[in-house]
Amino acid sequence: MAKSDDCVHILQGLLVFGNVVIGMCGIALTAECIYVVANSHGLDPLLKVTENSDIYAAAWIGIFVGLALFVLSILGIIAVIKASRTLLLVYIILMLITFAFEMASCITAATQQESLAPEFLLKQMLNGYESSDAANNSGNEFTKTWDDLMRQNHCCGVKGPSDWQEYTSAFRDTHSDADYPWPRTCCVMNEEQHPLNLDGCKLGVPGYYKSNGCYDAISGPVKAYRGVAWFGFAILCWTFCVLLGTMFYWSGIED
Amino acid sequence: MWADGDHRRVPGDKEPQLHSRPGHRGTRTMLPLLLLLLPAARGTVVTVGPEPALTQDPRLEMVTTASTFVLDQPRCVFQNYSDAVIWLVVTNDKGAFNNSMKPGTSKTAFQKFPDEVSAYMTLNVTLPSYPCPKPAGDITVLRVGSETSCAKDMSRPTCNGPLPGPGPYWVKFLALDDSGPVAETKWSMPIMLRTAQPASNISTGSGYRDGMIAITTILSILFAILLAALLAMLVFCGSESCGSSTFSKAESVSVRRYNTHHVYDQPCARL
Repeated sequence: MAKSDDCVHILQGLLVFGNVVIGMCGIALTAECIYVVANSHGLDPLLKVTENSDIYAAAWIGIFVGLALFVLSILGIIAVIKASRTLLLVYIILMLITFAFEMASCITAATQQESLAPEFLLKQMLNGYESSDAANNSGNEFTKTWDDLMRQNHCCGVKGPSDWQEYTSAFRDTHSDADYPWPRTCCVMNEEQHPLNLDGCKLGVPGYYKSNGCYDAISGPVKAYRGVAWFGFAILCWTFCVLLGTMFYWSGIED
Repeated sequence: MWADGDHRRVPGDKEPQLHSRPGHRGTRTMLPLLLLLLPAARGTVVTVGPEPALTQDPRLEMVTTASTFVLDQPRCVFQNYSDAVIWLVVTNDKGAFNNSMKPGTSKTAFQKFPDEVSAYMTLNVTLPSYPCPKPAGDITVLRVGSETSCAKDMSRPTCNGPLPGPGPYWVKFLALDDSGPVAETKWSMPIMLRTAQPASNISTGSGYRDGMIAITTILSILFAILLAALLAMLVFCGSESCGSSTFSKAESVSVRRYNTHHVYDQPCARL
């Protein structure tokens, strides 16, 4: 008798501990997803460019799943302590539904990782960026989006201005290397949106051209987004263990 | 700011002057000797100064591109030749050029390089463009390949046009006056330009795809196990509790009531 009491208490303790961890992780997941959604203005031009709105879907699901996990963990703690079969069954079923949603969010986030990789963005930029004429604002949507990104973040290219030198590109096909080692948008501009010093920009004199790449400017939200996928995966693994333990506990108690 | 050597100046046309003092006795014998030596002296080209080199200071991002490169200007190199015109010789074959070649002819035209001629001459500036010493703070560089407008214009054979291939190229400075070449620098080290790879060479990492497949499979398996466990739990343990021997509640032992004979006997006794 005393032995089974100990077993009950140990299992109850473990389940309560497991639910506490789930609750805290739920809050953390919500916070991370809110960060991704709030800081997405840096990603906006790129996402417009890659036509990728699934990134927001995964983050929004993550917010609600995190809150649901927190609420359900409280329900779970109460149910375990009271040893009530009905409450535990409700808890298990609701947790399974939340598990399914978080699974969807996690897989979506993992699938989108590839389209946020720097190599992918570089290839896209080299193939799609064409002429940029600051004076009369010509060029297609993709080029305009990249120009906005480079102007807002004071950056050039994905890894740096030498992207335009190391690889062939649609830009290189229409602009000679001697006149345009890189697009004019990479030059430091004055108030009238003209290069401060064109020769300095063409030569690459420090101070007259933008030397850092645009990937650094967006790497914050991208890393947070990667966290949504992998942190979500870790939470799901832990939840799996807690749910199995809860099912075992449920099958062992009487009402 | 800086000068990048693209100016066009008209060469000066002063005659070289001999310093001689006919009054002195020693110089009377010297004069015929000097006159004898003069034709020989005209053919000698003096090697001066450091050879041309790619600009190291300040550090430029684009010291070499796919069709241009940047040299230091030849400051304080041709100081003794104030009335000569400085030319830059660019070649892909050092042995193919000799100093008797004249600039502005079809043998040294930029437009015919590299298919028909192996060297071309460009620059065409005089010494006042390169004052010595250079003012501190100025960036004194010479960009070879910066003139794109005259690259196909046969009427401008001394065009400083973009280079056609990755090289290697050798350059030297040559000072010419009316009598021919008077000074030159040594040939530079071979200069290689950049080549661009095709964009299709960029490999988008397959690591991401592996990660996605791993996450998807593992999560699907976990979810399937949970559903199976839920089903098993409901089917087998739905109505009565399984494992009641391990998890029984403390006061669940039921005590049967025993009727003793006393209880039954008593009512009969009263009657």
